[in-house]
Amino acid sequence: MSKHILEVLVENSPGVLARVAGLFSRRAYNIDALTVGPTKDPAISKMQIDVDVEGHALEQVISQLDKLINVISIKEILPANVKPAPTDTQPDYQN
Amino acid sequence: MSKGQDITKNGTPMNGATSLVKSLEAAGVDVMFGIPGGAILPAYDPIFDSKIRHILVRHEQGAGHAATGYAQVSGRAGVCIATSGPGATNLVTPLADAAMDSVPLVAITGQVPSAAIGTDAFQEADIRGITMPFTKHNYLVTDPAEIPRAIAEAFHIATTGRPGPVLVDIAKDALQKETVFNWPESISLKGYQPKLQPNAQSISDAAALITQSHRPVFYVGGGIMKANASKELREIAELLGAPVVTTLMALGSFPHSHPLHMGMPGMHGSVAAVTTLQKSDLLITLGARFDDRVTGKLSTFAVNAKVIHCDVDPAEIGKNRFADVAVVGDLKHTLIALIPALKAALAKNRPDLSTWLRQVNNLKSTYPLGYDKPTDGSVSPQYVIERIGKLSAPDSIYVAGVGQHQMWAAQFVPYELPRTWLNSGGLGTMGYSVPAAMGAKVAAPDTTVWSIDGDGCFQMTNQELVTCALNNIPIKVAIINNESLGMVRQWQTLFYEGRYSNTNLESKRVPDFPKLADAMGCVGLSCDRPEDVDKTIEKALSINNQPVVVDFRVHRDAMVWPMVAAGTSNDDIMIAREMAPDWDSQEL
Repeated sequence: MSKHILEVLVENSPGVLARVAGLFSRRAYNIDALTVGPTKDPAISKMQIDVDVEGHALEQVISQLDKLINVISIKEILPANVKPAPTDTQPDYQN
Repeated sequence: MSKGQDITKNGTPMNGATSLVKSLEAAGVDVMFGIPGGAILPAYDPIFDSKIRHILVRHEQGAGHAATGYAQVSGRAGVCIATSGPGATNLVTPLADAAMDSVPLVAITGQVPSAAIGTDAFQEADIRGITMPFTKHNYLVTDPAEIPRAIAEAFHIATTGRPGPVLVDIAKDALQKETVFNWPESISLKGYQPKLQPNAQSISDAAALITQSHRPVFYVGGGIMKANASKELREIAELLGAPVVTTLMALGSFPHSHPLHMGMPGMHGSVAAVTTLQKSDLLITLGARFDDRVTGKLSTFAVNAKVIHCDVDPAEIGKNRFADVAVVGDLKHTLIALIPALKAALAKNRPDLSTWLRQVNNLKSTYPLGYDKPTDGSVSPQYVIERIGKLSAPDSIYVAGVGQHQMWAAQFVPYELPRTWLNSGGLGTMGYSVPAAMGAKVAAPDTTVWSIDGDGCFQMTNQELVTCALNNIPIKVAIINNESLGMVRQWQTLFYEGRYSNTNLESKRVPDFPKLADAMGCVGLSCDRPEDVDKTIEKALSINNQPVVVDFRVHRDAMVWPMVAAGTSNDDIMIAREMAPDWDSQEL
């Protein structure tokens, strides 16, 4: 089991934490850790979400998170000594 | 649609309620379904003066499903409106229904005054919290200045990308306060930019994979309807000459009479459609989502097939089944790009599909959909539905409830045109039919609209027939009355040794459906002999100034076949009880 850390920029609007937490709950994704903090832009908050899913499941977490209207961007934070794994999941469909 | 010159000028002072109604007008709303109540009451005053037609329903659930029926027929957003608390919670089922079937819906609800939010005030319910899981997005508006932007965004979100329901909850004081109307010129949402144009590489990958396949099939879902891409579907199907299966949500997107059409796949699909998917080497998936009702046991579904998955929603790609080629984009754009790419690829390398076509056509002719006539002289439910489909005009719209009658209506009406078949596919909402048929008839007033309903479903939402009678919405309802919760009873027959726990509705005794129809301002008819079926349908078709309800009293033990039992493999499809297709006689 390996951990992935997602940095998620969200609109700082009421209910946004409930939207993200609710998504994880209803799609049965586990959150290991979750922190929310401000950014320089008061309209935008930053969430850091630690998840312990891999491959397909990770792709699904990201895709489903991205469907939330209040979610602006999602990027995976990789530890400094880790190179991105070769993609063994879906072909690139984002662009 | 709205006439440009009628749109209110920005900067005009008014209260929040008027701003809401002006916003709905600016969004092009011509009809909405709803019921007033305390918290939404301020909005009903300007509604009284608006050119928007407001149809006063008898239950908020009816408003929600009517808006869905309207949206499914017109392709535009359906609008429903309700008050706070119980009014709003009564919209929960239609919102969940619309989310599952990707229906563009905008629901407006009143909320208690902002100072009272969170105090368990009278008729307070956190409808934004309640509906988060099954709305595409939702809003709670407490500042009247934000009303136009919230409404504009709601329509934008509901109708673009993968459509879905959006709820706008507005606090009563925001409706009452003075504000200035300010309709946004354009909408830009940082977190919402649906990708409509597929990328060129994925299109050429898809075309290349298709030319390498010898057993391709078009697996077509409801997305084709949302994209209005029936014409392009037919073009690409005929270009490749491959078989087409249309799911429950896609019936009518490809003509049932077309020689390439293998029928509907799934739990009650045709042997040809189910087996064509199972034996395929390439699923060309267009706006379908590998739902469990289609795949059966997922690990055994079409195990030798590669997958091209075209969908506007990136989260559908790989959700249930790995996609070898993913094409994210609007299906119309996708097919418009894929058709010339495929043409060019086929010019270089056209695979021979003749063996495959012979095999699937053999299945289609060996295992047509059929049913046994009851031996006791009673009316067969399938026969009633088949005759309704034959005797009604070709452009007629059919709106089913959920259960056996829904499956028979999917199987025995020959759908030739898109948006002529409406049902609750994803959520499976009993009670959908009558209100959704009402909405469908409002969207297509000159078209015959049949509600094909069960006696169980009908008793959940039939009060909207009063709305139909009073508002000149002459739908026709065929109650397929088997005095049972028929599909549940079928499962009890098959899986619970015929122990019919709580599925006997006794609806041949009570209620008296024709009398009930009469009491609601409709014409009530009844039919319990096979020889009377045609003339009863013709009578119903001849009445166009009032809603008509026909109580078709049918055989109780009829079952829906074929069937792939829940959780089993599509390979184990049964064509009747304990009867599998004769696979040895098939080449496949």
